[in-house]
Amino acid sequence: MSFLRIQNLYKTFGQVAAVNRINLDIAEGEFFTMLGSSGCGKTTTLRMIGGLEKPDSGEIHLGGQCLVAPEKGLFIKPEKRNMGMVFQSYALWPHMTVFENVAYPLKLRGIKGAEASKKVEDVLALVGLAGLGERPAPALSGGQQQRVALARALVFSPRVLLLDEPLSNLDAQLREEMRRELKSLQQRVNITVIFVTHDQIEALSLSDRIAIMKFGVLEQVGTPEDVYFRPATPFVRDFLGKTFLLPGKISVSTEQTIGVSVQGSSTASLSLPRSKLIGAANGLLTVGQGVTVAIRPEQVNLTAGRQDGRANMVEATLQTVQFLGDRYEYTVTLGGETRVLASPEPQHLKSGDRVYLELKPEGMTLWPTEK
Amino acid sequence: MAKTETYDAPALTRSWLPPLDGGTAIMAALIGFMGFYVLYPLTLIVINSFNTATIAEPEVYGLDAWRKAFAEPGIWRSLLNSVKIGIVLQLVALPTGIFISWLLARTNILCANLFEFGFWLSFFMPGLACTFGWMLMLDPSTGLINSWLRQVPGLSWLNFDIYSFWGIIWVHVVSHGLSTKVMLLTPAFRRMDASMEEASRMSGASALTTLVRITVPAMTPVIIVVFLLSVIRIFSSLEIELLLGVPWGFYVYSTKIVDLARQEPPLVNQAAALGSVILIFLVAFIPIQRKLIARRQFTTITGQFKPKIIELGAWRYPATAFVGLVLFVLDVVPLLSVVGGSFMTRFGFFNLPKTWTLEYWRMALTDPRILQGLHNTLIVAVSAGLVGALFFSLIGYVLVRTKLPGRGILDSICWLPSAIPGVLSGLGLLWMFLGTPVFRPFYGTIVLLVVAQVLGGITLATQILKANFVQLGKELEESSRMSGAGFWRTYLRIVFPLMAQTMVMVAVIKFMFAAQHNGAIILLATSETRTLSLLALDQVAAGYREVASITIIMITVLTLGVAIVARSFGLKVGIRAD
Repeated sequence: MSFLRIQNLYKTFGQVAAVNRINLDIAEGEFFTMLGSSGCGKTTTLRMIGGLEKPDSGEIHLGGQCLVAPEKGLFIKPEKRNMGMVFQSYALWPHMTVFENVAYPLKLRGIKGAEASKKVEDVLALVGLAGLGERPAPALSGGQQQRVALARALVFSPRVLLLDEPLSNLDAQLREEMRRELKSLQQRVNITVIFVTHDQIEALSLSDRIAIMKFGVLEQVGTPEDVYFRPATPFVRDFLGKTFLLPGKISVSTEQTIGVSVQGSSTASLSLPRSKLIGAANGLLTVGQGVTVAIRPEQVNLTAGRQDGRANMVEATLQTVQFLGDRYEYTVTLGGETRVLASPEPQHLKSGDRVYLELKPEGMTLWPTEK
Repeated sequence: MAKTETYDAPALTRSWLPPLDGGTAIMAALIGFMGFYVLYPLTLIVINSFNTATIAEPEVYGLDAWRKAFAEPGIWRSLLNSVKIGIVLQLVALPTGIFISWLLARTNILCANLFEFGFWLSFFMPGLACTFGWMLMLDPSTGLINSWLRQVPGLSWLNFDIYSFWGIIWVHVVSHGLSTKVMLLTPAFRRMDASMEEASRMSGASALTTLVRITVPAMTPVIIVVFLLSVIRIFSSLEIELLLGVPWGFYVYSTKIVDLARQEPPLVNQAAALGSVILIFLVAFIPIQRKLIARRQFTTITGQFKPKIIELGAWRYPATAFVGLVLFVLDVVPLLSVVGGSFMTRFGFFNLPKTWTLEYWRMALTDPRILQGLHNTLIVAVSAGLVGALFFSLIGYVLVRTKLPGRGILDSICWLPSAIPGVLSGLGLLWMFLGTPVFRPFYGTIVLLVVAQVLGGITLATQILKANFVQLGKELEESSRMSGAGFWRTYLRIVFPLMAQTMVMVAVIKFMFAAQHNGAIILLATSETRTLSLLALDQVAAGYREVASITIIMITVLTLGVAIVARSFGLKVGIRAD
């Protein structure tokens, strides 16, 4: 059952449609992430859920209650929505102590005295800040400020927690630490979280489901594995992780498999099951049509010699080898184009050597080329 | 052993006697000059408060001036009046200013840019124009508003008297009291991180609760700075009280000093005693003010900043109307009444056989006193603008860019004049010029007025220049030094051209300041060196209202005109709150 439902949500800034008629259903207790580069409309969507922006049209429902519907003249103010929000800048009020910051939402709800103190202490302990209540908010480190912001958003047991790039202002190490804590916190509190980020690692590691946005439109919504291994659009495929693209032509087309001859490598031909074909043009494929085979670099094995009996081998020339500590990075040329692969094991190779790339069939996807 | 000795000896002399290199010489010269310029006249005031002989007579030291000055209740009353006006003015203007700045910077009020320009206009409008414009409106017998009220049945009992305590407060609020605060606070409100307010909304607070509990408290540091800047000027105010208080025997600090110094025989020593009291107050107050202003503000500004407009909903139109009305009172009323006054046979008398006339303009444009005043004003204001911009840029540069010792002292000296009431520095300069034989020949010349007006606005000028030097990439100068240019060549060939725009801005500000403010020159000018502002004060006092309107229009055109031209050339003639 859908807990938070977004229908046909639409918002323009000037001439640009920042959010272009999107639909989403988010379940209760779900960790839902909106992922995209800046300007894709993810933050605007989040702010419309929180009531900080008004949509031009469309509706948002929470637990059966309509929050906003411009066509019906309905708009519930942010302060009436009972949602917690953590801002990118944390937005701690500098004239208040940590305790006062966290107690503020309680005060506005008429919770005072010992009850409020107890709740504040509990939530500060939950985010790992027990005993820091009397500090002035600006006197904390970045990581601590972020925890205070989280505590302030959680203290009144909101129905939904909105997180607007909360980790982006932290340094890399702290960000990883906070990421793990955020996940365990969400599991303990069991709250519905809507998380906005441009960082794919955060999105993949934290989320139950991810919505990938581009120019105000949802490109794909699915589990992290879905969007990573089974991208629905070229944008999603290229946005998440690294992809290795091999242009080619269809050489064989049967009921079960499709054969592709790789451009620039006359000997190489790939064979993959028909289910790997992306897009609606499944049945319409003809021999000779241009396609692109996509695969994650980690699904490619680099070997020195051609191994007989193995399918899906592509020949390439090694350019450079670089040692990066935990792995080796190989730059190869294939059909005149340069590609980079990584491998944890050293290979006794040098520049100019002929190498073979073994493509794992389960990692390959096939994309019809635009004409 | 011998080796160590040869090393020790020069090291020792060096630590005792710093080599007088170029930089130290510049610093010594600047501190010496500024110290003499700013501090010596003030010292003279204190010394001469213990002198019972008048200026340029052999000194006779005693406590007589102090005794006499403070035996007279009028002196105490004038001090009290200044404080009373200051407090009441802040109580009215500060909350209103905060509210309007918030409306302009944070809400979806209509015409926000136009309104902001309106406050900018009011900020640069000469105080005289506003005072006089409202005098024409609220004079108890001839004021236009009062005449109208008399004709309204049921309201004929209502009569406003601008020559009253509340009249003075009213004119203070509408002349600069409100616009100064809006000018300073609006940019600060605009830079505030919007997510602070949004976080409050998400926590469950309404827009109004957020304003009261979050926005204003978070802005407290800026508000305190603005408040202190106003408080320190309590004793500086002159023109409004001169026109609206003196006629009914209401004196404040500045007008009392002018009164004492202008009596026959002049009671300059008593004026000096009165002056010294405030100097003691300022000596205690300035360090506090500087400390508070210099203290790091809350970081309410974030990199990822989105100006978020608060929806006023149904209040949008009333709020727009409110600010529009305020600006009508601040800008339109005074300008219209001053212009109208100059074309009417008798201002406010619409039923005379000949209501409108060009006679006063014809008189004014051929009046040698007005032409002389214009001439004097231009000399004083242009000199103050040019000298100020060139000289203070050097000071600003030395303060920001060099590591020379003594920068703290120089900076403190530059802060002082902002707190010294103009009348007081005028009194000090008067003593300096009359009491020092070398300077005496300059007395009665316009040089005196230039000297006095260059000093005015020095704090603002150095602060603006310093802020801009800080922003100027240091590498530009360093590469000049690496290319082989020395301090002066770098300053003249690199810094100077890069700073040209800022310096024009400082020159414009100083020009306007010199053309408008009378405090520092009122005791120094003679009938030959009188500027337009001083002339207007005399004309109003003598009751030549229609001619005074014309003089005031000329001042307004000069100052507001320059400001508008400068603005249209892209010079943001404003004040930074940080």
